[in-house]
Amino acid sequence: MNNRFPGLINSRRFKNTGFQAISKFQAGYQTQYLQVATRASFTERRNFQVSQLGAKSLLPRSPVADENSDNFQGMRSKRTLEIWKMGIVNYLDALKLQEKLASKRKLGVITDTLLSLQHPPTYTLGKRRTYHNLLIPESELSAMGANLHYTERGGDITFHGPRQAILYPILSLREAGLGARKYVENLEATMVRLSSLYNVKVHAGESGQTGVWVGERKIGAIGVRISSGITSHGLAFNIDPDLSFFKHIVPCGITDKGVTSLRMEAEMELPEDEVIHEQLVSCFTQLFGYEHVVWKDRSFFP
Amino acid sequence: MASRLWGSRAASYLRISIKPSFNFYRPFSSVLKDLKYADTHEWVKVDGSSATVGITDHAQDHLGDVVYVELPEVGATVTKGDSFGAVESVKATSDVNSPVSGKVVEVNGELSSSPGLVNASPYEEGWIIKVEMSDPGEVSSLMGADQYTQFCEEEDNKH
Repeated sequence: MNNRFPGLINSRRFKNTGFQAISKFQAGYQTQYLQVATRASFTERRNFQVSQLGAKSLLPRSPVADENSDNFQGMRSKRTLEIWKMGIVNYLDALKLQEKLASKRKLGVITDTLLSLQHPPTYTLGKRRTYHNLLIPESELSAMGANLHYTERGGDITFHGPRQAILYPILSLREAGLGARKYVENLEATMVRLSSLYNVKVHAGESGQTGVWVGERKIGAIGVRISSGITSHGLAFNIDPDLSFFKHIVPCGITDKGVTSLRMEAEMELPEDEVIHEQLVSCFTQLFGYEHVVWKDRSFFP
Repeated sequence: MASRLWGSRAASYLRISIKPSFNFYRPFSSVLKDLKYADTHEWVKVDGSSATVGITDHAQDHLGDVVYVELPEVGATVTKGDSFGAVESVKATSDVNSPVSGKVVEVNGELSSSPGLVNASPYEEGWIIKVEMSDPGEVSSLMGADQYTQFCEEEDNKH
């Protein structure tokens, strides 16, 4: 790892780009990046208190370092992912946040972002509005404490609720070099890898049955929207949600198959949800090949 | 091919590991000579001031089996570079952008019952909309067949 950096750091590309852009981010991000830089050849820098370093002291700042400049783009070739740990978030709030982040990502103002969260009991419909797969009248939903939302994502009707791990990656598919099909396959692989940590034998669905299955029961679902090459929505993995909510829909429009959860399939004690979320995110970052990862705690999301 | 060799040489000089690409290097998807192409993988066939729009073979291959096509209304306005509809495949809805501006005069109703036409025949029966162009000059900024072929190769070779 150390050997790679001298070549990159001394390159003109690195010197002219990356660093100025980083000064735009919060101190936490800046600190992380500088740590990587100082892990290069010179041992005496290793113990340097990174927080004492100001951007000014290391490299000259460009007079016009605005967020849309090319300097900023140079940084992205390092495949950075910013992860937001968010706790339980209302569905509409999460939707608005994704739209905001997706348009920022499209402009190149932010890096690839991943939201890790859970929802209160919510039913959602995809772009095809397969309303017929909701088996009870909408009026009964509020009595149950659930909401219904219409979305622009692919996929059929599904349920989200507490104890179901949700990941919403906001990525640029073009920069990742992925098409829609490959992206979805990677999302399936993420859930497969997580399940194997708990020795649960899962498999990704065959054609037409996207998702992650244990035998005939679905443990993880996917519904994605790609607009101008930027992804939103994502995957939902059942840790231990209340499965009775699924009785009121034909999940994903597939009539003869059931739903299950990690709690029901794993033969071992499960750790806290937070740990499982972190493991799921780790599987994601490994499969998608992210080199730099920045965690942000956003549980106090306004 | 040459760019791939250079890429791997540069990578080993900088001592970065190359991940093996997930897809096998496949020969470029079919590209028709007399069409124009946008960098968001839509094609347009110009006939005077009328244009037919669809998605390319490269696009349908990367999408997977299309199960649903969202079509605009006849009479709707489309703007170059903006989305006018979407295709759904493998639980992912992807926006389709228009390479030209104008008014939609016809949509391919067949796609409502047979969305798979987009995969099977992306340039012929899988056409999506017909547009009455408001500015035929826009077509000159689109890519030709050879340019588009090279564009696709560069995109596929990126990893």
